[in-house]
Amino acid sequence: MSREPLVQGGTVFDIGYQRYDGPREGRQRPRRAVFKDGLRIAFGLGRGPRAKLLPWTFISLLCLIALIMALIAGAADRIAGQGAAERANLPSHGDFNAFASMLLFAFAALAAPELLCRDRRDGVLSLYLVRPLTGSDYVMARWSAFLVVMLLAALLPQTILFIGLVLGDLEPMVYFRTHWLDVPRFLGAGVAMATYLTSLALLVASFTSRRAYASVFLVGLFAITTPFTAGLAQELPGAVGQWVSMFNVTNIPLHVNDVFFGATTELTEDAPARELGSTMLVGWWALTTALATTVLWSRYRRMTP
Amino acid sequence: MTAPGILAAEHLTKDYPNGVRALDDVSFTIDDGITGILGENGAGKSTAIKILLGLLRPTSGRALVLGQDANADITVRARLGYMPEHDCLPSQVSAAEFLTHMAEVSGLPPKVARTRAADTLRHTGLFEERYRAIGGYSTGMKQRVKLAQSLVHDPAVVFLDEPTAGLDPAGREEMLDLIRKTHREFGISVLFSSHLMGDVERTCDRIIVINGGHVVHHGEVAGFTREMETVFIEVDHGREGLIAALAARGVTASEDAGGLVLSGVDESIYDIVRDALVASGAPLRRMAPRRRALTELFERGGAPA
Repeated sequence: MSREPLVQGGTVFDIGYQRYDGPREGRQRPRRAVFKDGLRIAFGLGRGPRAKLLPWTFISLLCLIALIMALIAGAADRIAGQGAAERANLPSHGDFNAFASMLLFAFAALAAPELLCRDRRDGVLSLYLVRPLTGSDYVMARWSAFLVVMLLAALLPQTILFIGLVLGDLEPMVYFRTHWLDVPRFLGAGVAMATYLTSLALLVASFTSRRAYASVFLVGLFAITTPFTAGLAQELPGAVGQWVSMFNVTNIPLHVNDVFFGATTELTEDAPARELGSTMLVGWWALTTALATTVLWSRYRRMTP
Repeated sequence: MTAPGILAAEHLTKDYPNGVRALDDVSFTIDDGITGILGENGAGKSTAIKILLGLLRPTSGRALVLGQDANADITVRARLGYMPEHDCLPSQVSAAEFLTHMAEVSGLPPKVARTRAADTLRHTGLFEERYRAIGGYSTGMKQRVKLAQSLVHDPAVVFLDEPTAGLDPAGREEMLDLIRKTHREFGISVLFSSHLMGDVERTCDRIIVINGGHVVHHGEVAGFTREMETVFIEVDHGREGLIAALAARGVTASEDAGGLVLSGVDESIYDIVRDALVASGAPLRRMAPRRRALTELFERGGAPA
């Protein structure tokens, strides 16, 4: 007598372990994977709600500031007539980075350590370095990922502000024609701010495996050195005061912002460093950013013999 | 000229900057199979593994991995897996996400990485738990994730550094089973570093014993086990007579801990002891198989030939 199968239809096969003989994509795939992972960490993607809270709160706040600025300008035009916002010298793109700088600095201080400190603290870095990825590949992938994050934080609010100002104006096309140059200006200023903060924040984060230490140090760096150098520069006469003012870490990217917009902000208008001229100010920003990036890179480069 | 094997060390010497010589003219070849590196802490096992992985450069000599110089081209690491002894897992992400990421970091395309991550988690017994954050796993599960990440990209050879560290007896047995399965079912060669002789003997086909930066034994596990086995005999009186009776039968006995220790034993030893006891008239109190401690082997400068 033949036995009837208990279950008719599908059959499950255990095909066992399968060897992989497909493509292995050299060093490019690992670099892209670490870059993508850096974005996911910074935005808290694939992680719990707490990991998402910090980045999206900061980005939302920055966008909210831009939106409020656009709404005020639009309301002024409607209440006091066309061009009222400009006549009243209401803050616009040139001033935004000064308003937002503290938020951007705080965001960099809190988010950058997430990208480097955890890997060292959890020991994941040792797994990366036995794969087709050098220390340089790793840190440059992380740097690129954080730069994208900082560019978003710096440029998205400016974009919202520009769209808001165009749409809020009584004559949007006229506003666009007369103010379109603000777009390359805020792009340039945003790139300067993002690269500077990315390099500086990741450099500090590379010195410790504890995120809190890196964040506190960065916040302290911005919060303490800014008033200290500003006060000291005012007391010291001539070139000495100007050079002390150059070490105000908050103002370094804001001076570049001033150069792009051809005007000063509240934070930079009294800075003696301005007297050194645009070339020196932009050069100083480039030097500090390049130096921070080079030191960061060299610290990880040594990990691959 | 003989084939170089999967891994080869050619006259490796490693001096650290603090003056410590971790490896001193070490040479060995590792072929397909499960090979154990046995040695006490500080013997030079980890240094040898790090040189083979390309994480350290030898002071002199050469390490060959899959026929290539370990430091010449890092793309060879796409075919290597590494399970470190220390913690190396991120706590916030799930095992599925972590393994997918590590497969990509090893050079696999994203779609393949996802499939292989799920397969590897199934083979290591973590499939049901794959979407839970790793931070909530038990020690045994974390060890399995560590093993899984070393296998996810289907390496040709996997380095396991103290894989049973911190596991309870049941977890240790499961891990040793998985290691045996890694070679016998998955076809991946294993280099298994441990300071536990029992683990190596039960799992490995071949063994390399390192002490003080020197290879003191290199060969089949079966031969090593035979050399390490002893028989302990305790008699009420007539010990000298028994020693003489054993010597007359070609067996050398040494006195130890109130009894006699017979080295280099095989199946016939029990018949010889029985005959010697009858001939000497010494009343037997206790007879038990024992093993030499690893330190004894090192004190003698290597395993008997």
